[in-house]
Amino acid sequence: MTNEYAVTFNHVSKIYKLKQKGKAQKTSHDTFLALNDISFKIKPGEVVGVLGTNGSGKSTLSVILAGISAIDSGEVIINGEQALIAINTGLNNQLTGLENIHLKGALLGLSKKRIQEITDGVISFAELGDFLYQPVKKYSSGMKSRLGFSISIFLNPDIVIIDEALSVGDKGFAEKCLNKMDELKAQGKTIFFISHALPQVRRFCNTGLWIEGGKLRAYGDIQDIADQYAEYVDFLNAMGGKEKKRFLEDIYESRLIKDPHEHLIDRIFLQMRKGAK
Amino acid sequence: MFKSVCFVLKENFTNIYRIFSIARYELLADMRDSRLGLFWNFANPAIQVFTYWFVFGIGLRGGKPVNGIEFIDWMLAGLLVWFFISKCVTEGVNAIYSKVNVITKMKFPVSILPATIVVKELFNHFCMIAIIVTTFLIRGYDFSMSWFGIFYYTFCAAALSIAFSMCTSVLNMFTRDVKKMVNSCIRLLMYVSPILWNMDKLDQLWIRRLLKVNPLYYIVEGYRDCFFYHRGFFTYPHRIIGFWAVTIGLFILGSWLMYRFKHKFIDMI
Repeated sequence: MTNEYAVTFNHVSKIYKLKQKGKAQKTSHDTFLALNDISFKIKPGEVVGVLGTNGSGKSTLSVILAGISAIDSGEVIINGEQALIAINTGLNNQLTGLENIHLKGALLGLSKKRIQEITDGVISFAELGDFLYQPVKKYSSGMKSRLGFSISIFLNPDIVIIDEALSVGDKGFAEKCLNKMDELKAQGKTIFFISHALPQVRRFCNTGLWIEGGKLRAYGDIQDIADQYAEYVDFLNAMGGKEKKRFLEDIYESRLIKDPHEHLIDRIFLQMRKGAK
Repeated sequence: MFKSVCFVLKENFTNIYRIFSIARYELLADMRDSRLGLFWNFANPAIQVFTYWFVFGIGLRGGKPVNGIEFIDWMLAGLLVWFFISKCVTEGVNAIYSKVNVITKMKFPVSILPATIVVKELFNHFCMIAIIVTTFLIRGYDFSMSWFGIFYYTFCAAALSIAFSMCTSVLNMFTRDVKKMVNSCIRLLMYVSPILWNMDKLDQLWIRRLLKVNPLYYIVEGYRDCFFYHRGFFTYPHRIIGFWAVTIGLFILGSWLMYRFKHKFIDMI
């Protein structure tokens, strides 16, 4: 029954503990709901566009999808090997482009044979030319991203998670990446595409997932979701500075869980401060 | 408990290629960092050897030999393994923390990280062994089969380093104080081990007994055994048992910590 879906989220929540601001300023240990009761089911081969404003929990969702981070409640069922496309991770500045292909390949857990197989593909895809034999510290930031993206994309996972990866590099390379992703799509991979670029999302995805304030706001056909999201962004932008600030603070407050058990030391501090006054 | 040890062992053995690749490229990157590269890997120990020989050999001992072995040779055998272990211990604490950007961005078998540090240092260590062996041959020691025994003791040193780093690297994720503590205590560890001075001369028996509990005692004396005294592995059975009990104990504790917190590292930063 579960094999019908590539990814199943069942009432998933993720909590971060907040550090206290300064001594005895805050008297309780607050926890922050990064994700709040999220449920959805994704079929294999679906291309999901994840939308949401900054800080709404998209990146948290991506690390949970990638199996890097553990959840605090609920259930995540994933069928297949998943990979987060991480661009600048695992590149060493001292090593040349070619050595970095080998290093990052090894970090990702590829066998020696597999790395040799993909090397040529990565080299031609990244379009580095003679810079291949130069240390990465000499690269421009666009070149670095191209190299990183190229290595990641040649992994062969069933579920691909792309977190704002295409905002780097020039237009030509972004186009190339999109084509490559179309290829992955044609192969029937499940893809999660996390981006702010609405036109790209509309073009590329078929399902939309909109997260706001850690909660799942809407989930369905991409065009509908993108319309709703665009409307929401316009609504936010139309608000005046003060109004917007209050609105965002309300969302933030709703994600906090106050710890009712104040710590003994905090209580003592509080008493002392009261006494001093 | 048993499950976590199996998990860690399995993760390490299925990722052998990954461990060696990471170690190899880190070593390469280190060398590229400075103009003279590999030279410093040996110049730095050579300068330290000279310092210790000057202070302890000439200054404190007045050039007297230790149990019939010239002090400089006796000290070299000890420092040989000390350079390896101290590097493993100080870098091992940081094994996970220094790879934070990797473990937060990809699914990565965290428990292999202490092993990568040790493999990287093993390369330096084997170069160092070659240099020391040549030095001894030039200084007129006769080659003997028991010299090969140092490979067993190198294995012991590597096993102890991995086991110890398993514990410290996880604890270091909770608080970076662990790293500071280890770095502060490393010098103490050097002087409670028989590296620069001979413990047999101590009058108080109980202090001597206490110092021999240190697992480094077994390894350092083992190296000297192989080079100079040729006494064989089983001369001190209680030391073997003691050493492996400590090492396996640390490994079990480290594995348990790794297994218990393997999904939590990303949230600890």
